[in-house]
Amino acid sequence: MRLDGTGLLVRFALRRDRVLASAWVLVLGAMVVASAAGTSSLYNDRAEQVAAAEAINASPAIVALYGPILDVHSLGELAMTKMTVLYAVFVAFMAVVVVRRHTRVEEETGRAELVGATAVGADAPVAAALIEATLLSVAVGVLAAVGNIASGLPVLGSLLFGASWTGIGLVGAGIVLLAAQVSSSARAVGFMAAATIGALYLVRAVGDTSAQWLSWLSPFGWGTQLSAWSSPRVWVLALYPLVAVVSAVAALALRRRRDLGAGLLPDRPGPASGSPRLRDALALAWRNQQTALIGWTLGIAVMGVLMGSIIPNIGSMLDSANAREVIEAMGGIGGVQDALLFAMASVIAVVITCFGIAAITRAAGDEHDGRTETVLATATSRDRLLLAIGGLALLTTTWLLLVSGVATAIGRGDGVDGIWASLAQAPAVWLVLGLGLVLLTVRSRWAVAGWGLLAVFVTLGQLGESLRLPAWVVGLSPYHHVPKYPAEAFLWRPELAMTALAGAALLVAWLRFRGRDIG
Amino acid sequence: MTESIAISGLVKQFGHVRALDDLDLSVAQGEVHGFLGPNGAGKSTTIRVLLGLLRIDAGTATVFGLDPWRDATELHRRLAYVPGDVSLWPNLSGGETIDLLLRMRGIKPSDTRRDELLERFELDPTKKGRAYSKGNRQKVALVAAFASPVDLLMLDEPTSGLDPLMEQVFNECLAEHKTEGTTVLLSSHILSEVERLADRVTIIRAGRAVESGTLADLRHLRRNRVRASVSGALPDLSALPGIHEVSVEGQVVTCSVDPTGLPLLLKALNDAGIESLTSTPPTLEELFLDAYRSTP
Repeated sequence: MRLDGTGLLVRFALRRDRVLASAWVLVLGAMVVASAAGTSSLYNDRAEQVAAAEAINASPAIVALYGPILDVHSLGELAMTKMTVLYAVFVAFMAVVVVRRHTRVEEETGRAELVGATAVGADAPVAAALIEATLLSVAVGVLAAVGNIASGLPVLGSLLFGASWTGIGLVGAGIVLLAAQVSSSARAVGFMAAATIGALYLVRAVGDTSAQWLSWLSPFGWGTQLSAWSSPRVWVLALYPLVAVVSAVAALALRRRRDLGAGLLPDRPGPASGSPRLRDALALAWRNQQTALIGWTLGIAVMGVLMGSIIPNIGSMLDSANAREVIEAMGGIGGVQDALLFAMASVIAVVITCFGIAAITRAAGDEHDGRTETVLATATSRDRLLLAIGGLALLTTTWLLLVSGVATAIGRGDGVDGIWASLAQAPAVWLVLGLGLVLLTVRSRWAVAGWGLLAVFVTLGQLGESLRLPAWVVGLSPYHHVPKYPAEAFLWRPELAMTALAGAALLVAWLRFRGRDIG
Repeated sequence: MTESIAISGLVKQFGHVRALDDLDLSVAQGEVHGFLGPNGAGKSTTIRVLLGLLRIDAGTATVFGLDPWRDATELHRRLAYVPGDVSLWPNLSGGETIDLLLRMRGIKPSDTRRDELLERFELDPTKKGRAYSKGNRQKVALVAAFASPVDLLMLDEPTSGLDPLMEQVFNECLAEHKTEGTTVLLSSHILSEVERLADRVTIIRAGRAVESGTLADLRHLRRNRVRASVSGALPDLSALPGIHEVSVEGQVVTCSVDPTGLPLLLKALNDAGIESLTSTPPTLEELFLDAYRSTP
């Protein structure tokens, strides 16, 4: 191992990530506290709590999303339902973002070369990225454990839960480190890592709802199978570092076989001349997104069909009196199915918004690197360029919402409600993207704040209920105003209001972009 | 003289920093105009203003008599721009990028000499943008610019990543465009490349034009370096007006002389029994350093 300078690189990486990493760790910690504190105050007695846990287990959709509750009597397991599997994904993504940023991105930009030419060992950048990801995973695990203990949950369970989060962070780091060896494109690496995490999540979803053994194949299933809160299988915790170490060793071995900046997959040559269709800013933006859009379309379609197909089965899973009671309260089987349809549509809508925000932040990157300048120095007007950025973001996300709706409807096989439930989310998505475009056009460096905005809106939606925040605070999130169709009546007013606000945001963005300096 | 580019009293402020401070620049139609200055002098900022990418705080700037901010798209059909630091789309091949840039200027790639230029610059158009080196990224932008039948080329330190052979190709291409009557604004801090090609030169320092004119004009304003050997006793040259930096080594004397001091110097040397004399006109380097050092 040639590790000289690793400590220096770790300190440097932590300094560069001080805002991103601490925000990420703190938000996840806050989620745990809010969830733990909120859940225990939600139920009056033990019977209610057990009923709620049974209701979760009774719903394949929720189980697919959050994983099952192994011990319905455990308050800790109930309180951490969302955290155990779904939020663990965000822990894994934290590691992905951080490790990719300090490995493949550095190689692609040529900065790794600058570092590599100093007295820094060849393995040091990889080691430093791993160490940073480990530190952050441990931090988030400790914070989760402390938060749970402080909220009054059992100490052992809290510690084990925290350890599972640390573990999933390590797994995320291992996955992206492997991906970083394969392709020379930082974007492709991010895509591979995200797709792998998505696939592992899906494998677990299928396993938890039908074939249990599949869940053991996915690290996202281990959080549940660890059974942190009652009769824990502590040995499961060893699986995470095992996967992480194997991936890291493999990645290091692969790293040594390739040149700096190169990928294991050879860079295929491109066409020697451009297609006549690649002729303006819109075609260029489309070209830069089409591969990702195809991937997203497939992913969203699979997710939609899978989730939709779970809905009709919900009645067959009812085996407890308590669950039946909860369901009656929600307006019978039909009502529960409709509520689930809405819940799924709103989760997928947030995921789809990410696609649009990513497109907007990529435009900011184009401006920072000087590609926007190159485009605007041709006969491309600012209006056309903004149309290419904003129009395409709105169009692609609307398309993905449609795909999600159609897929859910196909999976459910019972009417077209799924399509409307999904499309009803469109005005909220447009509004968030409109705000993202305002950020981009005010100052291109502000565009990344679009991610923060999205995180705040989602957090408000998730935490508003458990923290009992004032209604107007929760109401800041556009997603909050989407009519709960088909569980409740479809309302035109909020939809039109949000569409109008989105339009106003676009107008502001347009006026601003016409008048500001580029670069 | 028809002006292609006319800038007067241009001010551009970035926060508290005055990037351009009362800048004047005039580029005649069909000339190659060298735009010289050290790093950070405001060369790129000027070019960005001329491209309508930056707003003006004060003063005026026109290109072909049009407002670069308001008439940007119309103007951009008539010009091609090569930035100093070329950034390409990582997933587009070089060939695709060149054709895209041409099409975005309203030019059909098949009507141009792009293939010939690719060959001359020895550029592989099938490589992806992320795989190109700095020099090759620059070549992509240069091929897209030289293949464009435009009235104006704006080149911002275009050869900074090229090797000497490629610099030669660049010079040939530029000369060809010059013959066709293309106006060229060529910014650089590498003086030799401008010296060979530029009809006129503007030297910019701290956002302000400090010198402007033909190379002959500028040289005329500057001191020649004279080295002479004499047989007799040397008079005290440093006492003469217009003569500077005198140094004596045996019978050899070297000094700098203003154009006004030349007659006196020659007379003094003649009286001392001149044996040999060389006079070197100032190089652009010296002009440049002179302009750079002098306080505005």
